[in-house]
Amino acid sequence: MQKINKNVVLALLSLTSLVFLLFQLYYYKFYLSQKNGAVFSKVRGSQSGQDSTRWHVIRKFLGLISSHNIPVYLIDPLILGLVDKDIEQIRSSPGGPSPGCKYFCAQSDFTTFALLDKTWKHEVGLFRTAEKMGFQWLKIINKDPRLDGMDDLSGIEIPLHYIFKLASHAIHLVVFYERSGNYLWHGPLRLKQHMDRKFVPFRKLHFGRYPGAYEKPELVLVSIDDLKVQIPKNPSSFLEEMSHSRFLECRYREARAFFQLYPDDASLDAVEFRKKAKSLLHLAALTLNNLGVKFWLSSGTCLGWYRQCNVIPHSKDVDLGVFIRDYKADIIPAFQKAGLPLKHKFGKVEDSLELSFQGEDDVKLDIFFFYEEDDYIWNGGTQAKSGKKFKYLFPKFTLCWTEFVELKVHVPCETRQYVEANYGPDWKVPVKTWDWKSSPSNVQYNGVWPVDEWDDVIQVY
Amino acid sequence: MDEWKPNPAVKPHKKRSWYLAWKYKLMNQRALRKLCQTGAVLFLLVTVIVNIKLILDTRRAAYEEEEESAQDYDDEMLNVEVPRHPVSNKKVLDVEVYSSRSKVYVAVDGTTVLEDEAREQGRGIHIIVLNQATGHVMAKRVFDTYSPHEDEAMVLFLNMVARGRILIFTIKDEGSFHLKDTAKNVLKSLGSQAAPFLSWRDMWTFVGKKGGEVYGEKHTKSPALSTWGDPVLLKTEVHLTSVEGHEDEQSFFSLVPWPDAELTRRRKRFCSKVEGYGSVCSCKDPTPIEFNPDPLKDNKVFDVPVAVIAGNRPNYLYRMLRSLLSAQGVNPQMITVFIDGYYEEPMDVVELFGLSGIQHTPISIKNARVSQHYKASLTATFNLFPDAKFAVVLEEDLDISVDFFSFLSQSIHLLEEDESLYCISAWNDQGYEHTAEDPSLLYRVETMPGLGWVLRKSLYKDELEPKWPTPEKLWDWDMWMRMPEQRKGRECIIPDISRSYHFGIVGLNMNGYFHEAYFKKHKFNTVPNVQLKNVESLRKDAYETEIHRLLGEAEVLDHSKNPCEDSFVPDTEGRVYVMFIRMEQEADFTTWTQLAKCLHIWDLDVRGNHKGLWRLFRKKNHFLVVGVPASPYSSKKPSSVTPIYMEPPAKEEGAVA
Repeated sequence: MQKINKNVVLALLSLTSLVFLLFQLYYYKFYLSQKNGAVFSKVRGSQSGQDSTRWHVIRKFLGLISSHNIPVYLIDPLILGLVDKDIEQIRSSPGGPSPGCKYFCAQSDFTTFALLDKTWKHEVGLFRTAEKMGFQWLKIINKDPRLDGMDDLSGIEIPLHYIFKLASHAIHLVVFYERSGNYLWHGPLRLKQHMDRKFVPFRKLHFGRYPGAYEKPELVLVSIDDLKVQIPKNPSSFLEEMSHSRFLECRYREARAFFQLYPDDASLDAVEFRKKAKSLLHLAALTLNNLGVKFWLSSGTCLGWYRQCNVIPHSKDVDLGVFIRDYKADIIPAFQKAGLPLKHKFGKVEDSLELSFQGEDDVKLDIFFFYEEDDYIWNGGTQAKSGKKFKYLFPKFTLCWTEFVELKVHVPCETRQYVEANYGPDWKVPVKTWDWKSSPSNVQYNGVWPVDEWDDVIQVY
Repeated sequence: MDEWKPNPAVKPHKKRSWYLAWKYKLMNQRALRKLCQTGAVLFLLVTVIVNIKLILDTRRAAYEEEEESAQDYDDEMLNVEVPRHPVSNKKVLDVEVYSSRSKVYVAVDGTTVLEDEAREQGRGIHIIVLNQATGHVMAKRVFDTYSPHEDEAMVLFLNMVARGRILIFTIKDEGSFHLKDTAKNVLKSLGSQAAPFLSWRDMWTFVGKKGGEVYGEKHTKSPALSTWGDPVLLKTEVHLTSVEGHEDEQSFFSLVPWPDAELTRRRKRFCSKVEGYGSVCSCKDPTPIEFNPDPLKDNKVFDVPVAVIAGNRPNYLYRMLRSLLSAQGVNPQMITVFIDGYYEEPMDVVELFGLSGIQHTPISIKNARVSQHYKASLTATFNLFPDAKFAVVLEEDLDISVDFFSFLSQSIHLLEEDESLYCISAWNDQGYEHTAEDPSLLYRVETMPGLGWVLRKSLYKDELEPKWPTPEKLWDWDMWMRMPEQRKGRECIIPDISRSYHFGIVGLNMNGYFHEAYFKKHKFNTVPNVQLKNVESLRKDAYETEIHRLLGEAEVLDHSKNPCEDSFVPDTEGRVYVMFIRMEQEADFTTWTQLAKCLHIWDLDVRGNHKGLWRLFRKKNHFLVVGVPASPYSSKKPSSVTPIYMEPPAKEEGAVA
């Protein structure tokens, strides 16, 4: 009797344990799933394979933002890509309920929005509300580049990026700043030592790898997936702009070091030349931009930017580069219309084209056309009196934006190689006598124009 | 549970045991039971382990969550409370105070908190305020009580310091010449024995608690007029109040019914760091730090950036920003304060008002330093606000009139459209209490007054910035801007009654006498929403028409009388009078300077002229002075009138400045 009892007790105990164990396993599973943010799992987007969490996080975020009157706009390239396909339909039906969750439920870890710095100021309240709503947030600040060029202002740090995280989705808010040259700039995303590197998968973010420069976008308010958001009026051109928006800051520190070694020329002549070169460059940029011709700072002007962040006062002209594929016959008449007569034209579209326009008081605008080969890029030069041809070779390069004399312009991203190809390893030392036929370290003799072509390829006015 | 059925989980065991029993017949029921029991016990053990693990896991997860939110909190709090010096646990501070002719210093616990041995600077009484609980320096001031009215400022300051704070005094060079009895009595009330007897070139140090004990005092008399008292070095100990006292203060702040979290946060931060700003930090009805003045209708300067140029005069900056933020139509988001040097206290003041401030590494010395600071500030302003066409430039020692922005809003279009204008300034150099009358009246003048003015971006970027004097030139920026090479014949628009008031007494080119003689009696507009009249007549050509009209209606005064006498102008109101003085050529200001001197207006250089014409008010009458024959308006002189000539005094010693 006693023995049976013992067995019964043991068996009873085992059963209770088993029940407990099952219960606990169930509880554990429930707890975990709650932590992982499956709270919304039953609310919207019952279709499988869709991320309804994202839609909810975005809705919450937009609510947060509008409660603080902060105008943000959507710049997420993936969503804009989807939106762009149906842009007509979206623009024409504002506010109408949409059938499903087409855009904001596409699987993604984060959604990107933009914010114009000057449109808001009071962030403390925003974060407090965000926390109350359950967001975790991260703010990335860095030096203010608008004050970087100034020798001695303690650059105050400005917010460049914000990340708001809720459940498994994160909102990346990129702060855009207006800068001299009438363009918008956003900073790079660089984590500081103490920051949580695993806050979000930073490497996957679409913005922040490099700083970027953009035109001020026109915005429209649209309703996407029942959410009202501002988007760039023309998403495809925004996406196009984004693909080559990389921005290079001038190397202010190196420029300061340069001026320590070689004090700046503050003579009246230098001041005057700089003023004229600046206005000539502004005029040239306006003319070429209107034509849609992409150009960059070349030769001496590029060296001036790279070495001293300013026009070299003894350079006497302004040099621009243009890819020959961007050449347009309208260039010459457009410049003439802008008050810059053609001074000379060397070469032809197929070979060594170079245009020179006469600016105010002897300041000349040179436009060199660049020809792309498989492993290098070159432009040509022609000596008027002898018909000799020269070829200047450059390693391949891409174009980046920068700011120069209050203008947003292109420079070769690989500026150092470009400058070194042109001016040799001693480009840091100012040289006042420069012979374009022999001084450049990348010059090659390229034969002579046939005499019967001279009338065409050597035009001097 | 009671309805227990054979446990299926046990069955295999049983089967197995039967099998085993069958195989090994030696085995009996006992072995089977034992096996069952062991199995059950093992199973129970596993359950216990799983249980424990679950509990641990749950707790850790909960803890982590807590910690995460705590971290966010920490991050924010870190920005709020940054102690200036590490708080030591020590309850006693060693204080060393030195006073002598050419050097003063104060060291607290071996750390020098004040050291001044610069020549020709820092004369007067230096005061340091320490927090009685932490020993932090909360304020540092010097009052040049050798000069008039500085003692009043000192009394004001001492009254504003909270009870219980530790005060340290030391004199450099001379601090008694204009130290009046009122001030001496205040010092006496703080416990100083020597204060009532402080006299010419005495040296003095004193450490005491406001409204409490005295920690030490030393005083040496100057033996003769031409010599100074012996240097004194006071070494003493200061007992810190217990930390509870400090916490009291903290909780005191948190109990204070200051509304609005953001404002309170700023105020708390400020009050925990600095001292000497009176009721900003009092818990009942503290001075507001947000002003919300009425917005302006059709404000044309709402988007114009405002650059405030500041040095290390935080109490001036405080006064200045208060008046600026109270002006109608102000837009705080456009204000940037540029501080010349890495001073903390001015930055604290800027943050108190929620404005943005930028510090500037000082380059060069004296005037060139100011000049470089100006350049950096202006460049930065246009960089930060690339859309702006103009910038308002202010200095830290100006009061700003309530209608400052209204005045600019009504006149700024002139600066945009009229190429012959150089600036709009809020300051009339000749606008004293007795010479300015009409708040709605504007002038065109050939001089650039500064002291609150608007700069056109194109002027700065195209002309001034590239040529700005380099640091080694040691020029005054304003003098440079007034030079003909820069001004190029352009003029500034000024009001009759100034929209700014220059209150600074301590400054690079400033002292008490100078201020009293030239700035104190300056008229300052206090009327809101003044509607300016005839703004369009300020354009280049229209102004000439206006002047000719004025001269046409003006009555010629009796030139046989002495123009310095009050009776020179009849006892009327609202009339227009004209007088003619001798002015041989454009740069001949001999008579004008003498006239300005006797009229007690600005006479140190020529200001406020327009083509040899000066406009001011005397006895509420508009009073025009025309220089003959240099002025084009000389033609208005009746042939019978001989221009007045006033000879400079025979032995004139140069200017005051």
